[in-house]
Amino acid sequence: MIETALKVLFILLYATFVGFMFMGIIRIVTARIHRRVGPPIYQPILDTIKLLSKESNITHGFIYDFGILYAVGATILAVMFIPLGSIGVLRAYGDLILITFLLEIPMLGIMFAAMSSGNPWAGIGAQRALLTLLAIQVPLGFAVIALAEYYGTFSTYEIVMAQQISGWSIAHFPLLLAAIAYDLVLQAMFGKEPFDIMIAPGEISLGPMVEFGGKHMGLLNIQHAIALFAETLFFSNIFLGGGVVTAFSSPVLNTIAGLLVLLVKQIAVLLVATFMAAIFPRFTIDQAAKFYWKWPTIIAALGAILASL
Amino acid sequence: MVDWRLFDPLIEYARKRSMWIVAFCTGCGGIEMPPLATARYDFERFGIMPNPAPRMADLFLITGYVTPKTLKRIIITYEMQPDPKYVLAHGSCPLNGGIYWDAYNAIKHLDKYIPVDVAIAGCMPRPEAVMDGIQKMMELIETGKADGWKRYRENYEYYRKNQDELFGEGWRERTARMWIPWLMKGNNRGEE
Ligand code: SF4
Repeated sequence: MIETALKVLFILLYATFVGFMFMGIIRIVTARIHRRVGPPIYQPILDTIKLLSKESNITHGFIYDFGILYAVGATILAVMFIPLGSIGVLRAYGDLILITFLLEIPMLGIMFAAMSSGNPWAGIGAQRALLTLLAIQVPLGFAVIALAEYYGTFSTYEIVMAQQISGWSIAHFPLLLAAIAYDLVLQAMFGKEPFDIMIAPGEISLGPMVEFGGKHMGLLNIQHAIALFAETLFFSNIFLGGGVVTAFSSPVLNTIAGLLVLLVKQIAVLLVATFMAAIFPRFTIDQAAKFYWKWPTIIAALGAILASL
Repeated sequence: MVDWRLFDPLIEYARKRSMWIVAFCTGCGGIEMPPLATARYDFERFGIMPNPAPRMADLFLITGYVTPKTLKRIIITYEMQPDPKYVLAHGSCPLNGGIYWDAYNAIKHLDKYIPVDVAIAGCMPRPEAVMDGIQKMMELIETGKADGWKRYRENYEYYRKNQDELFGEGWRERTARMWIPWLMKGNNRGEE
């Protein structure tokens, strides 16, 4: 019991810290692409401390507070289901559909909060976010089906174990197609540039985030950090072979090595997303919906068909 | 109970190193903001981030002359920001009217309407000068002297009196309702 509680605490702290570092890495890499110096890597932590220490806070009622907590809670739950190397609390139950679903729940929480603020910009942002969420479901569904068809299981942990024997998922052609589609979907899940239509800084103020200030925004920052961690972790688990290392004799060393291997894979996923975000301008919402229902869907469907042959 | 004063140095440091600017560009100084944010004078080094939403902002740059019409929006934006908030007036116009000293339609002393923490003279100031002002602001925040938001709370009657003198009582409601008759008329015309 106590061991499980310690594990939960460790995963939570690790995910938050690494997530904040990821946010810092995104900002630094974007700055370097623009030939700027950029902020220090721990900048998101300072931002969060500042936001949490604001002395006046506004609230627009119960749902406004609850939506944020709901988003944070759902993200934490998602992290618990994803196998983190050889550490994992609920990894035996973490099947693909559940995790994909849990990674989208936070968006709904943010939407609740944004809609209850009554700000018209937040309303427009929520509408765009829900349309994006709707559009990414199709390629996402095909990618999940391709994986399940290929490995014959929905369990994330078993997929990681199967990759230990048969090589990374992206080494197989049908799954490579699924991975490409999933990577395009990740861009929208991160809220990064070609598909950051729901936040759209400058276009619709800040979309759903426009009314959040002070402690609400601080909590959302934490949620964003954990979500970044969870999404990259899920991608590296199902497509890049996860982080199970059995090279050393002691289990502690194996665990640490597994975490490091995972970290490298997660950063690779993150960098691809950052590079894409830095060079592509934003789509309008109708273009994004059309795009997701066209190319990623075709690619992922092809992958699913090839995987089931 | 945790004694939160223990964490005060950390909080002051975080406030100093992560000032978010609300992107409110008034007057000519708006043209001096993009160079500050881009590759040559990169202010993201200090954790400053331009932000379109007033709810998340800490630092309010008044970048030039302020007309009464803009001042209404400035006051509303200022009041929307959550509490440790700092105002940096930038250029000669917010200080004393600058070259618009005899204009009927420019505010001469911004400090009478919202509390200003740091002012930079110049028409218009170089980005280095703005950086200098930001540096000064950081110093003030660290020593706890950037207390414009406290002054606004404590002397609210004074600021409110000056605002009402300029715009007349109940200006918020009047500004909000300003377009309703016009819209109604437009609708009627559409129906005809
Ligand atoms: S100080 Fe000079 S540059 Fe600045 S707003 Fe006034 S006239 Fe324009």
